[in-house]
Amino acid sequence: MATTARGRPALPQGIGRVTPGWWAFFAATLIVLAFGIVAIIRELTAGMVATGMRDVGTAGGATWGLYISMVVYFIGVSFAGITVAALIRIFDIERLRPIARMAELLTIVSLILGAFAILVDLGQPLRGITNLFGFARPQSPFFGTFSLVIAGYLFASIVYLYLGGRRDAALMAKHPGRLQRFHRWWAAGYKDTEAERRRHYQTSFWLALGIIPLLIVAHSTLGFVFGLQVGRPGWYGTLQAPAFVALAGVSGVGHIIVLAAIIRRLLGAQRRITMEAFSWLGRFLMVLLAVYLYFMVVELLTLLYATPEVEKRLSDALLTGTYAPIYWGSVAALVLPMIALMWQALARRWNVGILVASGVLVNLAAIGKRYLVVVPSQTHGTLLPYEVGSYSPSWVEYGVVLGLFALGALLVGLFIKSFPVLPLEAEEEVSVDA
Amino acid sequence: MAKYGMVVDLERCQGCRACMEACKVENNTTESMFWMYVFRFEEGTYPDTKMSFLPRPCQHCDNAPCVKVCPVGARYKREDGIVLTDPDRCIGCRYCSLACPYGVNYFNYQKPQDAYYALGIDWEDPDVTSVTGGVVPPYKNPDHDLLYGEEQRRTAGGGHAKGVMEKCTFCVHRVENGMLPACVETCPTNALVFGDVSDPDTPISRYVRAREPWHLLEETGTEPSVMYVGGKPPTLALTEIERPKARV
Repeated sequence: MATTARGRPALPQGIGRVTPGWWAFFAATLIVLAFGIVAIIRELTAGMVATGMRDVGTAGGATWGLYISMVVYFIGVSFAGITVAALIRIFDIERLRPIARMAELLTIVSLILGAFAILVDLGQPLRGITNLFGFARPQSPFFGTFSLVIAGYLFASIVYLYLGGRRDAALMAKHPGRLQRFHRWWAAGYKDTEAERRRHYQTSFWLALGIIPLLIVAHSTLGFVFGLQVGRPGWYGTLQAPAFVALAGVSGVGHIIVLAAIIRRLLGAQRRITMEAFSWLGRFLMVLLAVYLYFMVVELLTLLYATPEVEKRLSDALLTGTYAPIYWGSVAALVLPMIALMWQALARRWNVGILVASGVLVNLAAIGKRYLVVVPSQTHGTLLPYEVGSYSPSWVEYGVVLGLFALGALLVGLFIKSFPVLPLEAEEEVSVDA
Repeated sequence: MAKYGMVVDLERCQGCRACMEACKVENNTTESMFWMYVFRFEEGTYPDTKMSFLPRPCQHCDNAPCVKVCPVGARYKREDGIVLTDPDRCIGCRYCSLACPYGVNYFNYQKPQDAYYALGIDWEDPDVTSVTGGVVPPYKNPDHDLLYGEEQRRTAGGGHAKGVMEKCTFCVHRVENGMLPACVETCPTNALVFGDVSDPDTPISRYVRAREPWHLLEETGTEPSVMYVGGKPPTLALTEIERPKARV
């Protein structure tokens, strides 16, 4: 049995053991995060003038830009994690059980990033927190984003992760070490008795049933932020909310595939995360992608067939104008994975490399599509004949977004190094007991 | 209770933009902010061209999309029809500016002191500070910092502060003291008419009865308090002669 330098038996899954590679990873994320913090400080001291955002209309800009695109993207990613975790629970999908915890982790981390992205987008971030508690108005479409998504959904996900992890925490807490206190705190007196197991199972099951409608509503409210605005061409539409949910699923499942492949490689867990799990995820991604592509085609057809004058300016900018490279790039990054997934499904042979490439591509497409929902309707979507505007993010915005990604990677890395990201197996339990 | 409204007579407007200037002086707005804005349009191709003008204050909508979307109630509608922004409550999410189809909202992207028209003046210069007393801009309308209406809230007139939204207030500080908004007071051709539309004997009510007013972007259902007479609704075929060149 592997032991640490001090002669203690090593914890399973490399927990608590920070190898030089991991040090390099943490250092890299911290450096990028520090750059992001510098950018935030610049934005706080100078004001939003440090960003590329400007007023819509006479100033010819976009007053929502990369930040809001990333809010929508991050919250979208969070969708799939908890969906997959809940589906595993409800339908008892045994082969997916090893990825349940990393899926929950992905949801929590991306929701935290989404919340931060909202805060950096506010002109008065501190007031954003205090005034929302004091004066929040349910009539604002933003209310759903703050209450259902950030509060309700994040809280539910944390409870979910907590309950699902208590048994492993109790096992880990038997092991002396620096992390013992943390594991003991998580276990909180859990003894793994029959009654406790049943109670946990029941709680998780009902939570899973409750969380799915909650998250459909929550993601729809994010779509309503745009879909209810009649004064902005390209935003107003009934398809906005369902398309948001569909693209959220696409980007989230794509993300889980990438994360699962990385953890599988890292922990040598080829036996735990089986090809059946990947084929299930690949099929799930394919279905969601098909739904989203359907929405996209319907939207495009409506836009091209019956284009009112104000929408025409916008569709021209999207299809052939300023935004055409992002638009067609995103379409390609959705269609290519769709073809690859269909081909693999028909051949019944799944390849992790192709799946990971598909996951990365659909996420790039998701960022592109979110950006195209947010920005063009401002620069090319004024109803009064203002001149056409332009927007390009400044280094501050890029820095903050990179910093957010680094923060996410850091949080995931810290979790992997301090808690079993795969549920403990029988032999691992023995090694802890020893 | 009075219900305030404004009529813009496009047959009288000559596009001089004195209203924009008056607004800036009255409300101390910073560079690139145009609470009142006058479009100067050109139509057709040379030599068959036609010019037209369109003043665009905040429309003070009765069904204001900006009020509906504000997550904290910083943007509010008063009973007398004026739509105001509470600069002490605004969190700077800028949703109002996207909900508004008219583009009347202006955000303070930086400290207002850094955004005032410098005109080549170094505000820190000792010779300048000996005159201004170090205040930027040198004159600030003190009425802006008072509380107005039943709500007793500050309005965006006093709200030039980094990270909050602001827009036309219908010069609430003047109206509550029985004066006309600065743009209306200044207009040399009386193209702007302001008053109580609920009282049939006011000049604005007579105007509304005599002419056929229309609203800007009627199709968006915002029910504006600002009405237009003469001219015709703008279309995207119109192009602005020049775009305001301002530093943000």
